[in-house]
Amino acid sequence: MTTTASPRRNRTRFDNFNDLLVRVGRGVGGVVGALYQAGRDTIDMVLRNVLPFIAFISFIIGVILKTGIGDWIAHRLSGLADSLPGLLAISIVCAIPIISPLLGPGAVIAQIVGTLLGVQIGRGEVSPQYALPALFAINPQVGCDFIPVGLALGEAEPETVEIGVPAVLFSRLITGPLAVVIAYFASFGLYS
Amino acid sequence: MHGLVHVLAADTPSDPGGINGTLARWAENFIGLFQEGAKTFTGLVVGIVPLLIVLLTAVNALIRLIGPERIDKIGELAARPGLQYYPIRYLLLPVLSVFFLTNPMAYTMGRFLPENKKPAFYDSAVSFVHPPLGIFPHVNPGEYFVYGGIAAGITTLKLPLGDLAVRYFYVGLLVIFIRGVVTEIITNILIGRRASLEDTPPDDDLDDRPVRPHDNPSGVTA
Repeated sequence: MTTTASPRRNRTRFDNFNDLLVRVGRGVGGVVGALYQAGRDTIDMVLRNVLPFIAFISFIIGVILKTGIGDWIAHRLSGLADSLPGLLAISIVCAIPIISPLLGPGAVIAQIVGTLLGVQIGRGEVSPQYALPALFAINPQVGCDFIPVGLALGEAEPETVEIGVPAVLFSRLITGPLAVVIAYFASFGLYS
Repeated sequence: MHGLVHVLAADTPSDPGGINGTLARWAENFIGLFQEGAKTFTGLVVGIVPLLIVLLTAVNALIRLIGPERIDKIGELAARPGLQYYPIRYLLLPVLSVFFLTNPMAYTMGRFLPENKKPAFYDSAVSFVHPPLGIFPHVNPGEYFVYGGIAAGITTLKLPLGDLAVRYFYVGLLVIFIRGVVTEIITNILIGRRASLEDTPPDDDLDDRPVRPHDNPSGVTA
């Protein structure tokens, strides 16, 4: 009541200050809100996607290491993964148009093979400079299971999907091994 | 403590025979199977999850503050024909889409592109959901172990990871660009083949239509 009675000039100055406060408050609130929501999203993501996968992969690794399947796979894998032709062979197999969509879902295969390879690198069976080409060798099938959905998300016509699926699959047969070669040359000087 | 260890060590050789002994050994092996897994689990949760959570939070907040809708303009730019727009279409657009929209939603940016370039863009974008994982795990935390598995081996050797992460990122950039270009070429070849296959029936009004031949509704039936 008293503010309405006070002179006009005072009121505008007070209003300006008030506006500033509101703006600062809103800005800070926005930033804090975004951070908080980001934290919530993150925890949600970790609980939903990351931890379950860690649980699953821990079980698989435990069984593989303890039963001796690990040694068997390790022999095959480290023989392959420790040379460029071997890595190329892995990438070509993974990029075969019929196999690649089967290996794709959730990148589960790539993650398991990657983790097994990691164990081999840790043991010293595979030299660490092959880590970079190996990352590409185990993964030429990325997204091959998801092409129709991915194209639909991009609002593609059904005819585009019909052509797009073989186009991407055939392309991987070329670019999969090519990526391994590029990564091989890019890994010179890495951990050596 | 030492005495206890000694007693335990002394006990183990006197393996109880008979059925109970066999059962005990089975049980031990059975539990051992999961103890090995539990060790791996602890290693992964302690080694990776805390960093992942903090990093994800920071980047998620950044994306919220910037606003992912701003990359729409680049989508429109990438749709233009011409050689100079290739790097925008198969490098800049996929990278920004994957960074800001993350794994499944990044492919929605394909909606700005003409039909014959959508498969190539998808190929390019989907190939970039793993290479940044060493630096920006927020793009695809659910598939972190494509990188994380191999990186764990490097960590075991006590070697620095930064170099691998950065090189994975750079090589990823080069690879997605090549994939985009190669897939676009293959898409165009397939479109051409389909169009030539459909040439046997008298071809309708392909020329006065501004769209690509495969957009022709008459071609759907073949």
